[in-house]
Amino acid sequence: MNWPAFWLSLQVTAVASVIILVVGLAFALLLVRVRFPLKILVETAIMLPLVLPPSVIGYYLLLAFGRGSPLFEWFNIRILFTWQAAVAASVVVGLPLMVQSSRAALANVDPLLENAARTLGASEVRIFWRITLPLAQRGILAGMILGSARALGEFGATLMITGNIPGRTQTLPVAIYDAVQAQRYADAHLMVLVMTVLAFAGLLLARQLEPPTLGKRTRQPAEASI
Amino acid sequence: MSPRLHVNFIKRLESVTLQMNFAIDTEILVLFGPSGAGKTQTLQAIAGLSTPDSGSITLDDTTFFQRVAGKPLINLPARKRRIGYVFQQYALFPHMSALENVAFPLAGRRNARDRAMELLERMHLAHLAHRMPHELSGGQQQRVAVARALATEPRVLLFDESFSALDRPIRERLHEEIRALQAERQLIVIYVTHNLDDAFAVGHRLAVVRDGRIEQIGRIDDVFTRPANQQVLNILGIPNAINARVVETGPSGALLDWNGITLEAPPIDAPRGAQVVAYIRPGDIRLIYPDHPLRPVVGSNHLEGVVVERRPERHVHCLRVALPDGRRIEAVYPASSYTTMNLTPGESVRLALRKESIVVIAVHQGAPHSDASRSDSRPERNPVSMSPS
Repeated sequence: MNWPAFWLSLQVTAVASVIILVVGLAFALLLVRVRFPLKILVETAIMLPLVLPPSVIGYYLLLAFGRGSPLFEWFNIRILFTWQAAVAASVVVGLPLMVQSSRAALANVDPLLENAARTLGASEVRIFWRITLPLAQRGILAGMILGSARALGEFGATLMITGNIPGRTQTLPVAIYDAVQAQRYADAHLMVLVMTVLAFAGLLLARQLEPPTLGKRTRQPAEASI
Repeated sequence: MSPRLHVNFIKRLESVTLQMNFAIDTEILVLFGPSGAGKTQTLQAIAGLSTPDSGSITLDDTTFFQRVAGKPLINLPARKRRIGYVFQQYALFPHMSALENVAFPLAGRRNARDRAMELLERMHLAHLAHRMPHELSGGQQQRVAVARALATEPRVLLFDESFSALDRPIRERLHEEIRALQAERQLIVIYVTHNLDDAFAVGHRLAVVRDGRIEQIGRIDDVFTRPANQQVLNILGIPNAINARVVETGPSGALLDWNGITLEAPPIDAPRGAQVVAYIRPGDIRLIYPDHPLRPVVGSNHLEGVVVERRPERHVHCLRVALPDGRRIEAVYPASSYTTMNLTPGESVRLALRKESIVVIAVHQGAPHSDASRSDSRPERNPVSMSPS
């Protein structure tokens, strides 16, 4: 068992999860609440990592963070071949799942309840925190868990942009690949088992959160009756 | 007293264009009309949940909305209008208890929970304060919704088909509560319904809404005894509308020709030969026992026909009668009357109508044949009362 890889994976996943939650929720809100031109293109672009080959994602990340990129030259962000690069790769692949799930959950909150809150004197910010978010929380949580599980399992792009440095940038999935290459099968067995258990637990949790039971009862299309 | 809430706006919707213009005092106004007529949209415009295209909405000295040429645009957000809105689907927050729901609008105030509890007590729900909405019956949920709407201490309370999903006895009790609350707190109440029983039970005045406009507004019994036009008749479901021609008119009464049947009517302000739309009040029609001489009911019109259907309602019976030429007339009488008469379908029956039971609601001047068939010659729209200056 490669413990440094295990702990690094947890660290990468934890940081990525927080970013996925915040950024994903922002995107979901944007897509549910704001009307803007070419929205469908933005939606599609967010979903793209679900279907692109990992090498393509890795290549884009190399472009984004490499020498000559705005992030590198202007903002002095130099994360390639560090563990932060693994976080970046994890965020990109985990985000679509978060956006999808939390977007559905937010859209599922009955606008009637938000309207009722408005007539009761609540500001939009208060409505979001007291009504919308609590009613959508299961879907949002499920999305975050799915995104985190996907982040934990990220392999291809991570391999390309972290350089696979044992003890520094080598995450668990990459370590498994290494172990198999070196024919250390006992090592690989254990790590595969750990990965499977973690992924299984994550999916199970997400599935249990998935069907939101709150907020659906009074659902009716807004302004259905004139 | 001068009216307090002035509503005067235009809003174009996909199916209909709303042109609302009315004013309300401290009273209960019922908006009645078919679905799609614009009743809910009107409430939403008043509450600030939708924005009219133009016009103005004012309550006492506060302008809620104003989009009038030459004046600055005003559109007070819903949360600042302090209008209580009770929705048909209750719209309680499902993740909060009854008490938390009522306390929601009171957040940040001192004694919020005590105030919320008082309101629940007022609605006879104190014992259920800690239940979640899904643990309450429909009637209880709606009481919580009313308590919650009262928490903002609104001057205006809007009911949008609020009780239509509830059973009749529960609805009747809630109507009593609404009337009591209205009087107790001097509220302006607008009550939207498509149920006439509800309108009678709760309303002081009635506005008949059709195609985004108010066809007639007035005291409920006035609207029923003097409907402004054919549309109001139809919407109120008043039967016995007739098209007739004035044969003779004088100070003591008029004679109408209803396609071959001559009817005595009260005096009419219309020349001979004019076409009129009238209706025969169903409750004023008497049945005559077969062995009874006609003498005692002299001065009335007499019709003979065949019973088509007898429909018992709660306190009255409705009797539909076909005249020899197929025209139908509907009579309504107390359930306790005519119990010894055989009124099964197919039996012949004689009807007596006093001339006062014939109410002329519109006069078409001019040639007898031209107007009645033209669809665009709608009777004069009754001017909506009290338009804001």
